[in-house]
Parts: sequence; C-alpha cells; structure tokens
Amino acid sequence: MREKRLDLGVLVSALLISGLLFGAGFLLGYTLNKERMISLEKDIRGITKDVENFQLQFLFFDVLGENSTCPLLLNTLSRINKESYKIGSKLTRYGSETEIKDYNDYIALKREYSRLLISYWLLANKLKDVCNLNASTVIYFFSDKCSRCSDQGFVLTYLKNKLKERILIFALDGEFDEPSIQVLKNYYNIKEYPALVIDGEVYLGFLPQEKIEKIVCEHTGC
Amino acid sequence: MHWATAINYFAWYVFVFISVVWIILMIENKKGFLEERKPKRLPSASVLIPAYNEEKTIGKTIRSVLGLNYPKNKLEIIVINDGSKDKTGKIAEGFAGVKVLHNKKNRGKACSLNRGLKIAKGELIVCIDADSLVEPDILKKMVGYFKDPKIGAVTPALKVWNPKNFLEKIQYAEYILNIFLRKALAFLDSIHVTPGVFSVYRKDVLEKAGGFDESNLTEDMEIALRIHEMGYKIENNLDAVSYTICPDRWKNLFKQRIRWYRGALQNTIKYRHMLFNPKYGNLGLFLLPMNFITVLAIITVFFVFVWTYVTMFTDMIWKLYLVNWDISTVFQGINLMGMVDSFVSASLIFSLVGIILGAYMLYKSFQLNKERVRSYKKTYLIYLIVIPLIYTAFWGLALLAEVLRLKRKW
Repeated sequence: MREKRLDLGVLVSALLISGLLFGAGFLLGYTLNKERMISLEKDIRGITKDVENFQLQFLFFDVLGENSTCPLLLNTLSRINKESYKIGSKLTRYGSETEIKDYNDYIALKREYSRLLISYWLLANKLKDVCNLNASTVIYFFSDKCSRCSDQGFVLTYLKNKLKERILIFALDGEFDEPSIQVLKNYYNIKEYPALVIDGEVYLGFLPQEKIEKIVCEHTGC
Repeated sequence: MHWATAINYFAWYVFVFISVVWIILMIENKKGFLEERKPKRLPSASVLIPAYNEEKTIGKTIRSVLGLNYPKNKLEIIVINDGSKDKTGKIAEGFAGVKVLHNKKNRGKACSLNRGLKIAKGELIVCIDADSLVEPDILKKMVGYFKDPKIGAVTPALKVWNPKNFLEKIQYAEYILNIFLRKALAFLDSIHVTPGVFSVYRKDVLEKAGGFDESNLTEDMEIALRIHEMGYKIENNLDAVSYTICPDRWKNLFKQRIRWYRGALQNTIKYRHMLFNPKYGNLGLFLLPMNFITVLAIITVFFVFVWTYVTMFTDMIWKLYLVNWDISTVFQGINLMGMVDSFVSASLIFSLVGIILGAYMLYKSFQLNKERVRSYKKTYLIYLIVIPLIYTAFWGLALLAEVLRLKRKW
C-alpha cells in the first residue's frame, strides 16, 4: 500500500478561513440588526414626542374650549395613528426573525412601544368622549404561540386599510412581561388568544373580517 | 436558534469551506495548472470504443481517433459493438485498421470494456465513448505522466461539443467549471472519476484490478476509486482536450444525471471504508465525505428554499380566503420596506459569500481554459442560478430512487 497524499495544512487552514468568513458574516449581520434597532428607536422617540404633545394639547381644553382644541387634537391623533402603525409592523417583522427576537434592545423597544400604545389608546378614548371622534378602538391581544393570531393580524391590517380612520388598532403581546399590559388583560379577563376588545366589548378567539366590520359599522355608522 | 436555521447555516458553512479549499489550492498551484509532462518515449496504447446504438456518432468518433497524432504502429483501435440494433456494427466494420468485436446481446458498457481489455495489446488502455471526439494531440499530452510508476490513470479536460441550444450551453459552462475542479482534485490526489471520454489507464493496473465492475451504474467512478484503493494516483492534464456530445433534451439530461448520481451514491456506499479514513489521504478525509455532505447540504438549502416559498404561497391563498378573495390585499401585502429589510438579514449575507466565491471560481475556470468569458457571461450567470436548483432536484430524486431500491439500470 502506497501512501496517499494528505494536505492536512490546507484543510485546517480552509476550515479556519471559512470560520473567519462566517464570523465576519455574523458580525456584519449583528451590526446591521443593531443599526435597524437604532432606527426603530428613533421612530419611537418621534412618536413619543407626539404623544407628549397630545397630553399637552389636552391641557388647552379648559382654556380654549373644544371648538379650537378638537381640530388640533384630531390632527395629532391621525399623525400618531400612521406612525404607530408603521412602527408596529416593523416590530412584528423583526420579531419574526429568530436572530433578533432575543436581543435586549428589541425587548426594550417593544416595552416602550407597548406603553406608548396604551397611553395612545387612553387618549383616543378620551377624544371619543370630548371631540366626538367617530372611530372604533380595537385592542388586539396576541401571543407568539397562538396559531390563529397571524390570521387575526392579517384581517385587522386589511380592515385598517379598508376602514382607514374609522378603526384604531392597538396590538399588544399578551404574553409580554409588561405590567401595564397585564393590568388591561386582567381588567378584560383575557384568557385565550387571539382576543379583541372592540369599544370596550370583549371577543375571545378568532373573529372573522365580516363580523369585525359589522361591529365597527354599527358603532361608527357606515 | 431554531434547529432548521442551524442546519441551514451549517449547509452554507460547508459551501464556503469547500470554496476556500479550492481557492487555496488554486493559489498554491498557480503554475501547476498548465504544467506539461513531455514523454521520453511513446508507449503503445489500445483505444477501446464500446458502442450501443450509436450509428449517428460512431463514425465521427472513430475518425477522430484515427486522426490522433500518434505513431500508427503503437496505436490499436478496438470497437466493441454491444449488441446494437442499428447500423453501429456495420459502420465500425467499414474502417480500415479498426478491430470490431460484437456482443450477441446488449451486456453493458463495463462488460464490453472488459472484453476489449482481454484482447488489447497496448501498455496503456484508453476508454472513449462512441459519442465523443478528441483533439489530435490529446494522447501525446497525456502519456508523459506515466513516467511516474505511481500514476495509474490520467484524465483529460472535458468539453461540450458545439453547444447550440440553451441546455447545451448550460452544460458547457458546467463542464468548464469541472475542468478546473478536476485539476484542483488532481492537486489533492483525489480524482474520483475517470470519465469515459478518453481516460487513459495503465493496462497492468486495470488487469490487477480485475477489470471494470459490470454490476455498477457508473463504472468510471468505481474503477477510479479502486485505483486509489490499490495505492495508485490519478492525474489530469488541462491541456489535453476531448469533447462529448451532451444531451440536448431535458429528458435525456435527466436520465443521464439520475444514473450518475445514483452511481455516485452506490459507490460511496461500496467504498464507505474510505470515508474519514486518513489512510486514503485527502480522498478519504476530504473529498468523499465532502461529496456526501455537500449533497445533503444542497438538498437542505433547496428544501428550505422551496419550503419557504410554498408556505408563503399557501399562506397567501389562505389569507385571501380570510378577506373574501379581495385581490387588492395582494398588492398591499407587498411591503417594499419589508423586502429591503429582510434583504439585509444575516442569513442572506452568508448566501452572498457562497455565491460570490462560486462566481469567482467559475470566472477563474473560464480564464484558465482560455475561453471567451464575455460571450458566455449570460450563460454562466444563468448556470449559477438555475443549474444548482435543477441538479439538486436530480440529486434528491437519485437519493429517493436509491432509497426505494429501484432496479439499477442505465
């Protein structure tokens, strides 16, 4: 038996070089994800300012009266509405990518966004009382593990595009460790997902598009 | 990390690793690619041409072998007509200076070669299929390697003859890449196939090996592995060029590949004692296992790819149903920012590293073969994208066929 040629050096160095290339790929991916988080954070900062503005504008009420304050408030609301929808869809998209889901930054941003949504929801309800805002508010409780949540999310996005300003959607991760979400969950007694709270009324389980549309129409008059 | 993601990453790692090995070899052996070994003397050679129903091409093959630039008294040509039902035998008989053996029944290529081997008188044995052509200098360029007694066989550079349609052009690019890869394999002493398109063997090595394996789907891989097992080396000359007429229809290409791949699986199983065995050098530690792992890796990446798109599609249909088939949602669903976002995700960067390395290798192989890179640019871009997908499907089917133990025939 003659010796067969063995280039262990080539094989080992190739193993190392490809490891380095791969490591560089990971690093680049990590940096890009980090970058995405930073841009998301900026978006959230922007919308936070709007919400603070909102609260300030509410203070004008007593002094200026509803006639001059309401147009201002409704205008701010529609801006927040658009922005929050954009941020929400970005967050869910990133959340579906396994590489990002466990980042601390992502969790922190999600927390901030959830709180923002809740204060936005509170303000929207107030606006319905004082400025006759003609819109249904829908809190949508979802969870990662729930099988029909992606369907419910899709239907809600569809309705948002169809009904525009007449429906305000607040999507909250019910399993997310955030006290303010838990307070709402307990208040509405949410035990399963998906769950919707449409203008204060609770619906457990998947709700088809026609039903939601019918409810919203009854409330806002199509 | 999800296990499917992990496997997908591993598959990409395998691709990058293999590409890096090739590139190191290329840099290390920069000059070796076009090295020549001039013969001191010209040994006698017997050219075996097994043929089964090849009336269209056998005449051309014989003529090109007769046209070899080699002393006539040192060259013997033997056609083995393997029970053809057409005029193959008659056409071969028509050439002066060609011995023709007739098998009464069709008994397979390996069997025909063995019959020719028994009566061959040359020191070297050349095998050439009846659908191949050669350049006149090919044999002279190859015999020099046999000065080294450790060398058991020498392979040429294989090209596609006169590619016309799309399918042939794709294969043309593939063969060009393979010329380069085969040379790189020679540097590793790991050439594991001696194709039946003018591979040259030492006759005593073939005899010691007991001839070709008649029950094998790809006897040209089996004999190469056996030559390695016996401790001989297999060399390659980039500059010795032979041409094969490749399948011009999808159906025929499909049949050919299924046979090759099933044969490769069969032989990997037959020679499994070589896998991860340092006794067999690079062949045992790198090439054979990597061949196997690459197939699994390709199939994984392919199925992850298909799975992603199939689920995406069915999901889209389902969601359309949820909104009462309101088609406008399809357009809303196309989220441009979302696409850009997912485009820069980490997994894509790995794919890019793999694809760039592959493209570089393809480019280099074109350059080495002095081919006009520009005129084939389109083809090899298509090759890079289309062919891996098609061949993966072939591999998958071959694997399936082997698992199901379908009757091995070709």
